[in-house]
Amino acid sequence: MNDNASESGRSIPSRPPQGFRPEENDQEEMDDKGIRLAYDLKDTLTDNRFVGLWRMATGFRTIYIIAVVAAGLAALSRSAVFYLLRYLVDDVLMGSGSQWRIPWVAAGIIALALLQGFFSFGMGRLAAETAEGVTRRLRNYLYDHIQRLTFTYHDTMQTGELIQRATSDVDTLRRLFQDQLIGIGRTGLLFLVNLTALALLHGWLALLSIPLLPVISVASFFFFRRMTTVFESYQSQDAAVSNRLQERLTGVRVVKAFARQSYEIDRFEEENWEKYRRGVQIAKLHTLFWPVVETLTGGQLLFGMYMASRLALNGEITVGTYVAFTGLLIATIWPVQGIGRLVAHVSTGLVSLTRVQEIIRQEREELEEGSAPKDKRLRGALQFRNVQFAYESPASEEDDEAKKGKETNLDPQETRRRAFAERGYVLRDINLTVKPGQVVGLLGATGSGKSSLVNLLPRFYEYSGGSITLDGAELREFSRGFLRGQIGIVQQEPFLFSTTIRNNISYGVGRDVSDEELEAAARAAAIHDVVQTFPKGYDTLVGERGVTLSGGQKQRVTIARTLLKDPAILLMDDATSSVDTETDAAIRAALQRLMQGRTTFIIAHRVQSVMTADQILVMESGRIIQRGSHDELVAQPGVYRQIFELQVQIEADLEREIAAVVEAAEEKLDGIEKGQPLLQANGSPSESEIPHSVTKG
Amino acid sequence: MSQHEHFEEEEFETEFNGETVLRIFRLGLLHWPLMLGYLLSVVVTSVLDGYLTFLTKRIVDDGIVAGDAEQIWRLVLQYGLGLVLVAVGVMGFIYSAGRLGERVQYDLRKTMFSRLQDLSLSYYDRTPVGWLMSRLTADASRVGDLVSWGFMDLLWGGVAIVISLIFMAMINVQMMLIVAAVIPVLVVVAFRFKKKILVEYRDVRKTNSKITGAYNENITGVRVVKSLRREEGNLEEFTDLTRTMYRAGFRAAWLSALFLPVVQLISAVAISGVVLYSGRQFQLGGMTIGGIQAFIFYITHMLFPIQEMARIYAEMQQAIASGERIFSLVDAVPEIQDRSGAQAPDTLRGDILFENVDFQYEEEKPVLRNFSLHVRQGETIALVGPTGAGKSTIVNLVCRFYEPSRGRILINGKDYTEWTLHGIHSRVGVVLQTPYLFSGSIWENLRYGRLDAADDEVVNAAKVAGAHTFIEELEEGYDSQVGEGGVLLSVGQTQLLSLARAILADPDIFIMDEATSSVDTLTEALVQDAMDAILADRTSFVIAHRLSTIRKADRILVIEDGRIAEQGTHAQLIRQRGHYYNLYTKQFRDERIGSAQPLLQGGKLVTA
Repeated sequence: MNDNASESGRSIPSRPPQGFRPEENDQEEMDDKGIRLAYDLKDTLTDNRFVGLWRMATGFRTIYIIAVVAAGLAALSRSAVFYLLRYLVDDVLMGSGSQWRIPWVAAGIIALALLQGFFSFGMGRLAAETAEGVTRRLRNYLYDHIQRLTFTYHDTMQTGELIQRATSDVDTLRRLFQDQLIGIGRTGLLFLVNLTALALLHGWLALLSIPLLPVISVASFFFFRRMTTVFESYQSQDAAVSNRLQERLTGVRVVKAFARQSYEIDRFEEENWEKYRRGVQIAKLHTLFWPVVETLTGGQLLFGMYMASRLALNGEITVGTYVAFTGLLIATIWPVQGIGRLVAHVSTGLVSLTRVQEIIRQEREELEEGSAPKDKRLRGALQFRNVQFAYESPASEEDDEAKKGKETNLDPQETRRRAFAERGYVLRDINLTVKPGQVVGLLGATGSGKSSLVNLLPRFYEYSGGSITLDGAELREFSRGFLRGQIGIVQQEPFLFSTTIRNNISYGVGRDVSDEELEAAARAAAIHDVVQTFPKGYDTLVGERGVTLSGGQKQRVTIARTLLKDPAILLMDDATSSVDTETDAAIRAALQRLMQGRTTFIIAHRVQSVMTADQILVMESGRIIQRGSHDELVAQPGVYRQIFELQVQIEADLEREIAAVVEAAEEKLDGIEKGQPLLQANGSPSESEIPHSVTKG
Repeated sequence: MSQHEHFEEEEFETEFNGETVLRIFRLGLLHWPLMLGYLLSVVVTSVLDGYLTFLTKRIVDDGIVAGDAEQIWRLVLQYGLGLVLVAVGVMGFIYSAGRLGERVQYDLRKTMFSRLQDLSLSYYDRTPVGWLMSRLTADASRVGDLVSWGFMDLLWGGVAIVISLIFMAMINVQMMLIVAAVIPVLVVVAFRFKKKILVEYRDVRKTNSKITGAYNENITGVRVVKSLRREEGNLEEFTDLTRTMYRAGFRAAWLSALFLPVVQLISAVAISGVVLYSGRQFQLGGMTIGGIQAFIFYITHMLFPIQEMARIYAEMQQAIASGERIFSLVDAVPEIQDRSGAQAPDTLRGDILFENVDFQYEEEKPVLRNFSLHVRQGETIALVGPTGAGKSTIVNLVCRFYEPSRGRILINGKDYTEWTLHGIHSRVGVVLQTPYLFSGSIWENLRYGRLDAADDEVVNAAKVAGAHTFIEELEEGYDSQVGEGGVLLSVGQTQLLSLARAILADPDIFIMDEATSSVDTLTEALVQDAMDAILADRTSFVIAHRLSTIRKADRILVIEDGRIAEQGTHAQLIRQRGHYYNLYTKQFRDERIGSAQPLLQGGKLVTA
């Protein structure tokens, strides 16, 4: 069913214009559905994060290893140049004077450069393929995973945090594969190859050339670790400056209204100066580190050179060997400076991995599982028997840790999760029978359980006790996918996607929609005429890059969307409360059409919204405290009657009071009017004759 | 949204504006000791670097080949000394460039922020806060980096190349010329590459911001996604994005991977040219072994700066674009400024007169036309009418947030442009419907009205505004944090605080634009009484929708289409049965019904 949905989804005539989308060839499409992208990333969840990284590279491991090998070969080609140089010096220039060999040496240099270039390009290219491939798979997986996680998870996780993990942390992982892991491999191989080459030139001379290197690499590791802290403090001050700016620029009216400009300049100065100070702190740290490292590296180099020159002087090594040795020495020592940086970056990369894995660890909602038949349309007969519901929270490792005494540093997500868990049962002993096509009105205060009750039907949450049957079968036996296809939801806050109006209406229908169908739905939802006023009609983009629709217009688009979906059951969450009065009537009419022939639940705060319902349930603290039709409820004492009577009384009072006010005003005016002419409607600018004392006295 | 802006503005521009570069350069010159510091240290370090390589040549030629141990010792000592000097040089330029960069950023932010304080509200109407933020953050740091590291790298590269060439010439002029011939090739190749790579990276960034947008939409709209079973379709669309991302990212990465080998190959050609030529020269005595070695070192040395210069050039382009945007902000002229000879008013008490005032926010869209009004000292004026009729415009003009485009406004008989802006603003108290509080404690926010107010004065103002009760109920009382924009409080509470803030300022003219719209009815009634006393002898303008507030005004103006449609007292207007009557009865109905709506709260029946 879902396959069909996606297939026909692709053939909807005009999809969001994505001009940036390059031509697709069939080869790439195959690649998409190939093995490499289909790997289930749940496998990457391990205690050892390096193993996790290794598994994350599944499908790319071979090329990644080849990339490392290529790095080694590139290093080898580079080292070979120095041997060629030795040959040039010893055997050609200082040797028997065989001039004809020189072009060969020159050609050899170019050949080795070609070889080195080939390998280092190969390394970069393969590393890129791995890095981009791994992140592409990860992005696709996370996107899909996130939209299939349960509401329980989404309730507790903040949007910004999720996005941060799915973008920044994923990019950190990309860089880990692209630069850092391979960088460590490359640097290590470069060092080994060069050191071997040195050792082959002269054994103990090679040993003398490296004693300071561990010192340098350790120093650079500690420097970069310290740097991370200092940089964080700089970043946090940067954020402070931005926050202050954001606040003062947004509140510029207040600043101006109180003429506080110079005060603000002084306050900003404090933050700005602090940022400068911390920036200088970073500069100082660098100032301290780099000269030391430069000196150490240079000193090591000089020492090697001096020892080698003495050997050369004594004739223990040839001049050519000396030349090759000094060249290799530089090649060996230089990369060591960077190793600390790489290691520091890898450790932050591992933190990102953990953060991404926390999302992957969450269980998805199963959409297709369910034994009930999926091929026929629901009638919409519902039976609730002793239904209980609590926002249960899955026990996680954090729970255990918390019990061990880590209560103090709870992250906001965990705090929210616990707050949900503490609410306990939000629905108790719900018994209810709904016939197909009936309208059920739910009335109650915020938090009384109205939303929780309807959220059970599309299985957004699972009821924890009792039974709900739909057309005679237990609700749990229907797959979530099937249920959601048969249930339409109109929310209080309409949500549109930033694509065309056409796509927003046909969104989720799961089949081809003809223009006639689309327009018919739009007309029924009273939005067609509005759409016609846009130059691009149904192809108008909504949201940031397109037109801004009013709340009422958005609501009508979602009604059109639901009409087109043609659900058997309709859930409406106080759909008119956020709409201004002028469009209220249009939306009401559209909603009436929408409700025709469907089992409908209406959540409402006001009596008017539910008055015509077949059954009205008044809810309080998760229980149904009153039920019946409007007439029945009005006939019996209780909350509903109180509300209703109050309302009737208000209407009656209103007429009376307006009359009274007018009368009072006239009387009052009559008293003053004796010496005062009545003003004209479009009074002239200098109506200073109006007495101030009229209402003051 | 900000993400979008951020990414779109990062695109580099191809224009090269010499004037802007000069102006940016002058920013650095303000701190000439630092600039001189890095200039000197960079030159000294580059020269020394070149010399150290030259020393390695001499160790081979004058030491090893000549068999002179003593000479080697001397040269090694020199080398060691050189290393120490290089370290000092490195120290010098890292410190001075680092400091200069931060300093220039600091200066820019300071200048821009001060300028922003002077700019009129009309500027803010046209300019989104996000745009301004980018100027003060990303652009400032980019320009700072250009002045310090950008200029330094450029200098470094240039000096390193020149010095290398000089030392090479000292060894062998003809061979130096061979190497010099390769430089233009290298430069052209480097720039070509960088340009291509940058284009790819721009694609990557664009796609990346789309990916972020897609995540955002999918997460915030997850309820709709689930209820419409759009998972498959969404994923399909998302994989289009990641495919684009993959291609752009991969292309950028392999182009980068190709760049270095190509540069190295070109240099290998130069080296092999040197080797070829050196054979003959060696025979003739024009070239030594140390010389060959030095040439190879010099060629390798020159590679890095040339490679880097392509990057620096690209960054410079970005920074210049940043600089242009910054200067456009700094050069912006406030539309409302003090006239020459403007004086601070002693008081703003007195009649307020609008004389045939025209006003528009945008060309061709007049809001007020030939508007005249006389307000007596001490009068309370209520403005009613539909949204967009011009009510807020009238009070904005009184505040002198904007000035009439034609006509005059007189306060106490004097054209108010003869007063200073500061003088007017500090004597007009404004309370807005969407009050803005700054993050900080309640103390701090209230004192914004009058910085030197004593504690009991602050508390008194809070009492008058009806805010004291709820403040006392807060756990930390007046020390409670309000959060950015006041998010930790309810809208009604922020309205009361902003009222208290204005009361503390003790203004001559009071302006309340739906100031208590979200305050509950009971509190509002209390506030109303207290406000009556405050407003008694002050001129005030009130925009309100609550009848109780309007009814009390000395005069009610019904504004429609920028004109006064009706005016008079409540009683007079009701009797006319015109616009006001209709507005009033509709309002009355809505208010009564509205107050009876949220019926159940915590299971108890609540009636208003």
